[in-house]
Amino acid sequence: MDRFKLLTKLSFVALLALTLALPCWGADTIKIGVIGPMQFVQGKGHWNGAMMAAEEINAAGGVALNGKKLKIELIQADSNEFINITDATNAMELLVTRDKVDFIVGGFRSEAVLAMQDIAMEYKTIFIGCGAAHPELCERVANDYDTYKYFFRGTPFNSKFLVKTCFIQMATVGAILKQSLGLEKVKVAIVAEKAMWVDPMIAAAEGFIPKMGMEVAGIWRPSPVATDVMAELSAIQRSEAQMIFTIFSSSVGIPFARQAGELKIPAVQVGINVEAQKEGFWQATQGMGDYVMTLNTYCPGVEYNELTKPFMDTYTKKYGEPPTYTADTYSAIKYAIVPAIEKTGTLDPDKLVAFMENDEHLVPSGKVAYYKDEQGRPTHDIKWGPGYLTSLGVQWQDGKQIGVWPYKWKASPDAPEITYKGIEPYKIAPWVVEKYKK
Amino acid sequence: MIADIIINSLINGSTYAMLAIGFSLIFGVARIVNIAHTAFYMVAAYCIYFATHKLGLPPVVGMLGGVVVATCLGLITYKIFIDPIREHEAAVLIATIALAMALQEVMLIVFTGDYLSVPALVSGYFSITGVKIFYQHLITFVAVLLILVILRAFLTKTRLGLAVRCTAQDREVANLMGMNESRVALITVGISVALAGFTGAVIAPLTIVEPFMWLHPLIMMMAVVVLGGLGSIKGSFIAAYMLGFAEALVVFLIPMGAFLKGSVALSIMIIVLLIRPEGLFGVVFEEER
Amino acid sequence: MHLIWYQLRKFVNVVRTELLVLPSRLVVFLFILVLLLLPLFTSDPYLLRILIQASIFAIFAASWDLLSGFTGQMSFGHALFFGVGAYGAAMLNLRLGIPPIGSIPLGALAAVLAGLIVGIPCLRLRGTYLALTTLAFPIIIIGLVYAFSDITGGELGISGLQRIARSRVANYYIVVSVMLVLVTIIWKITDSHTGIIFHAIREDEVAVRAAGINTTRYKLLAFCLSGFFAGIAGGLYAHFMRIAGPSTLIPSMSFQVVIWSVFGGVVTIWGPVGAVFILFPLLELFRLWPEYRMLMFAFVILLILLYMPQGLLPWIRDRIENECPRCKIRNIATRASCRVCDAQMQ
Repeated sequence: MDRFKLLTKLSFVALLALTLALPCWGADTIKIGVIGPMQFVQGKGHWNGAMMAAEEINAAGGVALNGKKLKIELIQADSNEFINITDATNAMELLVTRDKVDFIVGGFRSEAVLAMQDIAMEYKTIFIGCGAAHPELCERVANDYDTYKYFFRGTPFNSKFLVKTCFIQMATVGAILKQSLGLEKVKVAIVAEKAMWVDPMIAAAEGFIPKMGMEVAGIWRPSPVATDVMAELSAIQRSEAQMIFTIFSSSVGIPFARQAGELKIPAVQVGINVEAQKEGFWQATQGMGDYVMTLNTYCPGVEYNELTKPFMDTYTKKYGEPPTYTADTYSAIKYAIVPAIEKTGTLDPDKLVAFMENDEHLVPSGKVAYYKDEQGRPTHDIKWGPGYLTSLGVQWQDGKQIGVWPYKWKASPDAPEITYKGIEPYKIAPWVVEKYKK
Repeated sequence: MIADIIINSLINGSTYAMLAIGFSLIFGVARIVNIAHTAFYMVAAYCIYFATHKLGLPPVVGMLGGVVVATCLGLITYKIFIDPIREHEAAVLIATIALAMALQEVMLIVFTGDYLSVPALVSGYFSITGVKIFYQHLITFVAVLLILVILRAFLTKTRLGLAVRCTAQDREVANLMGMNESRVALITVGISVALAGFTGAVIAPLTIVEPFMWLHPLIMMMAVVVLGGLGSIKGSFIAAYMLGFAEALVVFLIPMGAFLKGSVALSIMIIVLLIRPEGLFGVVFEEER
Repeated sequence: MHLIWYQLRKFVNVVRTELLVLPSRLVVFLFILVLLLLPLFTSDPYLLRILIQASIFAIFAASWDLLSGFTGQMSFGHALFFGVGAYGAAMLNLRLGIPPIGSIPLGALAAVLAGLIVGIPCLRLRGTYLALTTLAFPIIIIGLVYAFSDITGGELGISGLQRIARSRVANYYIVVSVMLVLVTIIWKITDSHTGIIFHAIREDEVAVRAAGINTTRYKLLAFCLSGFFAGIAGGLYAHFMRIAGPSTLIPSMSFQVVIWSVFGGVVTIWGPVGAVFILFPLLELFRLWPEYRMLMFAFVILLILLYMPQGLLPWIRDRIENECPRCKIRNIATRASCRVCDAQMQ
């Protein structure tokens, strides 16, 4: 036991030494804090994307500021946000006060990012959110500009646009089903996890689906962490729906896809299934997740613009798997923060914010521009639409993710038709064809 | 619809029953509330994943390996951490919580927090009265009945089973009668953890394998055990199916409220306890001397 | 003039005979002194943040000890009071605009109500049944939180709450003072007539009832008092973090408080408080090894419990102090004879 006490004492001394030593580091570097759930795929994406950006910039010499070239120094902070919000806020505070970072990128879980945002704003540190889609994060910017102006959303676009994109994809698939299978009216079963961010989407879907000439067969709300959805699937099959509109962000996406595939439920799945965006989805569903379609930002083989392919290839080569959207910390650093520093020639947060909020720039997933709300107030939220950010519709075909939307998509009757490079046609699951084809 | 509910409740109930029986056993004999019970269930599930995914072995080998690893781990940790402090109930409670946390963290470090899955022992499904059932569900149900039969035979027909039952009734007198009480406790721990491991092996293909998978079954298992009465295996068995039925009812009758099934089950437990404070078949112990 | 001198001498005398005589009292005194004077030496916001959170959880742990340690009603769902207090304060603050000084006590009253609702079914339950039943309540409340997500904010919780005070240091002083006051009150309760009855209920409830005392009333009182203090802790937490979410109700929160209290020594009040101030900064220290953080924490708990199952702080206290065999007064271990009755100490 004495040894134990000694160890504790030594550890405290070590911490003290480290604390005193820390401020001496990096007087000539730009410190960027990367905060996220580092033991999970989202946090790893945060870190990997940031690392890639920092390495590329440092390899090219660094950031040009006032005649000098400064290197970027990354500081990792594990927010542990899935388990403990207290931990997340402490990690953020540590980043800002102890490590004295100049910028912060990352964040994932909305509940945590709301709390972390407050801390970053208190210390007037620019924080680019790369993972949380909650509109409130940017509504705060509009409502209290002076306090919250240091926050920008990096990715994904907020949940209102998420809904819009989903509906477009659903309408597209609905049209394909109607045409290929000769159906009179497509019946849609809405299956959405029980979570707050989903509620407005369901109400919107109930209104939208009839407008598209389709019918709502029923609404099911399993728990976000449900592991058995046989009950829901039996009921869906009985309702004779041909399409299942899924809204899943949690683990329930896996058993749903797996069990629906194993039972060969005669309905196609389209919508949001965050687990289906990950590489591990195929193994997690034991290969039963074929033909599942989901919204996704990146897909191997699909290019938005000339930046997409180099980003994806380098990332895949370096880390062994394609990037998910949290890896957009890469864009946040390389195409938002660094150019802002170089063009304004200062690290002063207020001047940088003034520059950044009017700056439109290309990123591997499209083009970032920040819009103002109806009252003309800046929101620091990212624009959606052709030419800006649209994301993709991705379908699992034969163990691989294939981009299937936008495929000859027109945002409005007189808009240009869009098909990104690498997009292929959507495939209907064979057992669905078998059931319905006349 | 009725068929759905019945079949669903049988399946859910079987899962809870398997976990609850092991938990009940260890409480009845050793008076240990083993919070880490479902953590061993998790260890077994990860063993299967490791065996099938990383080593490429067939699932059966993974299952056996999972049970063996979980049992050994359980016995070792019991001997090192729990046995010396058995007299202090509060400390034992915390120790099992800390043990569960430690196991969770080890799984997190080794396998990361990603969601994984395990292939079924027998894949595919069949239909009864229009309801589709996976073969794995059937295996689960059969496994529970099998375990119950074997356990009953063990407890009533063997000498060791007799020793276990005696120790459960009255520790000190059993000791006086010449049964080595701590050895009996050790063996019971082994059986209990083996049951937890076996449950993990059977259920793992039906659920998602991740480091936090032990929390939800823990809550439901404790509800089942409390409802059925601590120390009563028959009680755990019946309560498991009762709560499974309640959950299935909620899911089918209120599709929008499927997430409430846990709360409903727990509420039922509380209501029953209001009427019968020892649970349905609870054995009321004499105040321990 | 002479009066001041007299008072000063009296004060020094008291310090000499009451305070310096026992190392445990000295430690407590120094602890309070350090807590109160710390902001004069450092203004590191991170350190103050850790201590504020530790103080909040110390109130929480002390309230648990009151209920589960002293009265023996093992509560595995103490997060219920914490969460109800947090949500209560949050809703009052956000919807009705009541400032923290009002919303926190009112939120705590909501927690007291929760205490009654929980206490009544638990009256007839004993031991493990009680523990596992109390575990169920916060989970049911989480279900309700998700069901009525328009009011409660669902999984995102209620955010945008007012601060307790403008600056970090002001926050610190308010929270630490509240903690010291409340812990003293709880400690005084355990030392009072009511406290003795709580002790007795834990030891042998039948005997207490045989002595003519209405144990039902006292048990409910214990639930309510404990709920009140835990609710204050919850309200402080909500206003400090400026967000009240389902994370205040999860079983982990209940388990944490049990771990802290048992680690620090039950049935003491100062045990859990001390344990929180040791374990919480320790957990933050372990950030140096982010992957192994919780694992090391779990191992620390397991090891300490192995060697000191009664709790760390009582074990330390028993090493440095002894009880006189004749008059039962505590003495420092190095003494040969009791300081009060002069009997020989073993």
